[in-house]
Amino acid sequence: MLFNSLSFFVFLVVVLVLYYTKIFNWTGKKRMLLLASYVFYGFWNPPLVILLWISTLVDWTAGNKLAVEQNLRKRKLWLLLSLAVNLGFLAFFKYRDFLLDNFTAVADTYGYGYQTQPLDILLPMGISFYTFQTMSYTIDMYNQKTERAKTFLDFALYVTFFPQLVAGPIVRAKELISQFYEEKKATAKQFIWGLFLLTLGLFQKVVLADTLLADTSDAVFGAKEALNFWDAWAGTLAFSGQIFFDFAGYSTCAIGIAMMLGIILPHNFLYPYGAIGFSDFWKRWHISLSTWLRDYLYIPLGGNRFGVTRMYAALMITMLLGGLWHGAAWTFVVWGALHGIYLVIEKLLKHKVPVKITFWNGIFFAFLTFTCINFTWVFFRANEFSTAKNMIESMLFLNPDGLLILEYFDLLKVFVLTSLLFFTHWYMRRHTVRMVAENLPVWLFATGWAMMVFLLLIAQGSGEQFIYFQF
Amino acid sequence: MNLKKTLLITVILSLVSITVWELYWRSQGYFPDIDDDKYLWAKTRAKVEKATENDVVLVGSSRVLFNIQLHKWEALTGIKPIQLANAGSTPLPTFHDIVENTNFNGTIIVGVTPPLFFSTTFEQAPPWTRASSRSEFYKNRTYAQRLNFVLSIPIQNSLAFISNDDEAWYDDINLKALLNTIKLPNRTDKPKEPPFRRFQDIDKYRNVRMKERMVTDTSFANSIMAVWKSMLTSEPKPPPPDKEGTIAFFLKNLEKFETRGGKVILLRSPSDGFFDELESMITPRPEFWDELVAKANTPAIHYQDYDKLKNFKTIEWSHLSATDADMFTRNLVEILLEENLITNLKTN
Repeated sequence: MLFNSLSFFVFLVVVLVLYYTKIFNWTGKKRMLLLASYVFYGFWNPPLVILLWISTLVDWTAGNKLAVEQNLRKRKLWLLLSLAVNLGFLAFFKYRDFLLDNFTAVADTYGYGYQTQPLDILLPMGISFYTFQTMSYTIDMYNQKTERAKTFLDFALYVTFFPQLVAGPIVRAKELISQFYEEKKATAKQFIWGLFLLTLGLFQKVVLADTLLADTSDAVFGAKEALNFWDAWAGTLAFSGQIFFDFAGYSTCAIGIAMMLGIILPHNFLYPYGAIGFSDFWKRWHISLSTWLRDYLYIPLGGNRFGVTRMYAALMITMLLGGLWHGAAWTFVVWGALHGIYLVIEKLLKHKVPVKITFWNGIFFAFLTFTCINFTWVFFRANEFSTAKNMIESMLFLNPDGLLILEYFDLLKVFVLTSLLFFTHWYMRRHTVRMVAENLPVWLFATGWAMMVFLLLIAQGSGEQFIYFQF
Repeated sequence: MNLKKTLLITVILSLVSITVWELYWRSQGYFPDIDDDKYLWAKTRAKVEKATENDVVLVGSSRVLFNIQLHKWEALTGIKPIQLANAGSTPLPTFHDIVENTNFNGTIIVGVTPPLFFSTTFEQAPPWTRASSRSEFYKNRTYAQRLNFVLSIPIQNSLAFISNDDEAWYDDINLKALLNTIKLPNRTDKPKEPPFRRFQDIDKYRNVRMKERMVTDTSFANSIMAVWKSMLTSEPKPPPPDKEGTIAFFLKNLEKFETRGGKVILLRSPSDGFFDELESMITPRPEFWDELVAKANTPAIHYQDYDKLKNFKTIEWSHLSATDADMFTRNLVEILLEENLITNLKTN
């Protein structure tokens, strides 16, 4: 189910009614939430719920064994079982064709005429999210950083909790499972604030991403020929805005829905386009993934404990694999590589050229960071390297005779919206939505909220899937 | 921050604004209606799975949609045809879908609009994808999408401002369409296309009727004719027809369908003026229609060959008014019954 759909609206109302009526005790409510989560997922493709069950059973068993097993070798085997099953699902469903294509290409280079048949397997929605979430439990259990889940129901609900099941935030066991141990009920304030966040998230997705930006981005990245400077930048900025509003919109909805149930999920985005530098960016963009990669990849690879060279290598590997997590294509790897290079350069410069951040140089560095990030989005969005090459050349004034495909209104719309986005993120670096709302008069906050509802209703939307579902 | 008060004001403002919005569009002549979209098509396509040998399925392009009136047909024969035609598309992918993916062995009426029927078998070409994407959607739609459609029907039937056809009409009133009407000076050298306004209504059975305004308001009808002219004369021009490829594709499916007992009737609906001239020029009847009929060896009805069909005048060179469509349907059904090509469940 998509949050931006009528079926989800009905689903949510039913879940909330069942959750807040007195027909169930807390265990009954958790069972209801678990069943609802399977329905939420199964309404997309029922058989693929089986994958969720397998992940749940394997990691529950591995977690239980890790909780009591003292033999290091056996502990490692239980951890490996969990990793093998979850990464195996990912490899088979997400990377099989990519791996085979590359294997074929390498084999052909050496003169072996190896042929493969792509399976065109359906990618289970959100598989990258729930496998990472459930793996974090067994890894933490192995490292004795978290407690064993008290009951199977608590663990199954942790793996499957519908608000964040298919596109995060990727929540750690200790952040979520413990919330299931005692009865949760949103206060009136939490419930209303959750409803506001749900509206805000849907507004970001339906109005800003789908209605205002998606078409421009699609038109530019769908062009077969090299484009004019302005068109290329407009397309890239449009995608930059689209992916933020789409993904942050999903996370905002997820946090809001969970809050309406009295469950607190962590922030996943903190105004990333106001970031000063790339380390700061990754502390603000898809926070739950970047911290996952930090804790379960970068640090085990050595982190900064074994000298500078090893640290940079760990950083690059982490970012390359982070790129690959987003999609089975070399363009995503390049996206990750660019971020890795940015981070390495930033770390090198930070040691050699210390800069004190003021208001004016801060906004300059934030703009510079935003500009560099936009170059990475080109590789993220382009389906082929030829498209990315054309786009980068156009953005660097290297295609002076490039095609004009956008009308003035499209340019105006994109440049105004992304400027607003940048300055809002800059302003909000040290604020939260809650802080802003608290300082507004009631009538003004209510008018803004009602305007979002109104625009959502007249935008109507076509039930477009969230971009991150494919990852 | 008083959240309860905020919520109350939000609810009141939202209700007021949306009510005013609804009333405004109703005052502009809009009324609640169903969207012609992939969801409605898929719901209709599902009926083929349970259709019997007495049933009739319609495939084709917009002429089949406009000219064959389902309720009239049902009144005459006791059978409501299943309308699967798609505007601006070739019928070949839909026909292929029914032949390959169902056991239907009743009657399929295949509308032949020559520039579309003989256009292509290239699966990425627009006349093909406009139809094949709907078959794909039918095959792949999720349970959530089915439920979304069911839940959307009462809303579509109640609110005029809900308009979300697959075709993006100039006079749609969703936010994206409204923004598209903002005019600034041209930046690109793309020729300005004339506004394409919705000129038909559709019901839940996919019965399409031309808007009465097309008959009463000449300038409105002229605006649609301007669209046809622009579509077919502006660059890039459509590629030349692929007669051999399309006929071969059709015959292969026809053979399979007839082998399992199905019947196919080819139907060429009226056209006038610009379309008639264009069709005669790029797809002349002897080389295209006549050859198709000869090779298919299946019942075929060309409007020019029947006194009951040849005197209809289209409104904008291509489609009949609602009143004429009723009459055309009646006459067509009479011909089909006279020639024993369809079943009449009406015993009296």
